[in-house]
Amino acid sequence: MIDMIDSILLVDDEDLFHLVFEDACSLLDITLSLKSVSSTEEAEKIFVERFKNKDTKPECVFVDLNIVGSKYDGIEMIRKINYEYGNGCVVGIISSSSDKQEQAKAIAAGAQFWIVKSDDIEPRLEDFRKDFDGYKNRTAKFKVYD
Amino acid sequence: MIKLGKSVQKQLIDTCNNNGVCLEGNIIKLIDAEGDTEFTEYLKEASEKDKSSRRKRLEITKQIQLQNKELVMAQEANMKLMDDLKVALDASTHAKEAAEADLDLLQKKTQTELIGTIVRVALWIVVGVGVITTLIYAIAILTGVDTTLIGNTWSNMFGILLTNSFSIIGTIMGVKYATEK
Repeated sequence: MIDMIDSILLVDDEDLFHLVFEDACSLLDITLSLKSVSSTEEAEKIFVERFKNKDTKPECVFVDLNIVGSKYDGIEMIRKINYEYGNGCVVGIISSSSDKQEQAKAIAAGAQFWIVKSDDIEPRLEDFRKDFDGYKNRTAKFKVYD
Repeated sequence: MIKLGKSVQKQLIDTCNNNGVCLEGNIIKLIDAEGDTEFTEYLKEASEKDKSSRRKRLEITKQIQLQNKELVMAQEANMKLMDDLKVALDASTHAKEAAEADLDLLQKKTQTELIGTIVRVALWIVVGVGVITTLIYAIAILTGVDTTLIGNTWSNMFGILLTNSFSIIGTIMGVKYATEK
């Protein structure tokens, strides 16, 4: 229970990945509260709501790099979370891409981690969970899990 | 942690034993067994069942995800193939049009050459007939033979030849105009 993340928000356009992520988080006891949304607009609504009710704030946000059908991409979403909706939650990218230039942009936007999606996502999530306290305390450096 | 009390714990255990229905999902992780060994065992079993079904679902979802990716790749390959086919079709259409244009040009050239030959031959015939008739007429005048018949023939022939010459030239101009259109 101690190691679990209070709440996670996943922003990813691939609905099948929602199921994979949810099951992986449950099997690894990463969190008890996971919300998955398919667009940045839906995520935006959640963050707008956060200003009204502080309890709805997710503790950690995983954002896909390219969110098909959304107004902006994952990096812009991270920038908005960090600079417009107020800092405070651990935020990073989860993507099948491992492009160095995109990673540099993500760091500039305030991303704390980058998880590369693969068929075997569980070990990466487990490693992430081990480092989570460092991200929460803002002591851990940006890390790529691949 | 959630405390359910002995009665609820017993009901849950009975439901599991009688119907095989146990608690599922993350809620199991939030329930306190309150030191009850049987309920602790129940929660452990329910958790194992839940993890087993999640593992199964995760594997199936991953397979579907993989198949989806393969389908998307196959669709992209199909689209590329379609694009390539379209390009090849366009190229063959252009080649066909070019070949047709070349053939048309060749036909026109052949027609023009044929017309040119006909005109040359016709003009030589006209000139030849004119020259021969004139020579006969001249010989008749010089030899003092009666020239009434040959004179009329010469003038008639000359008129006919001139008319035919204009007719040939008119036909050539008309054909040229038509082929240019």
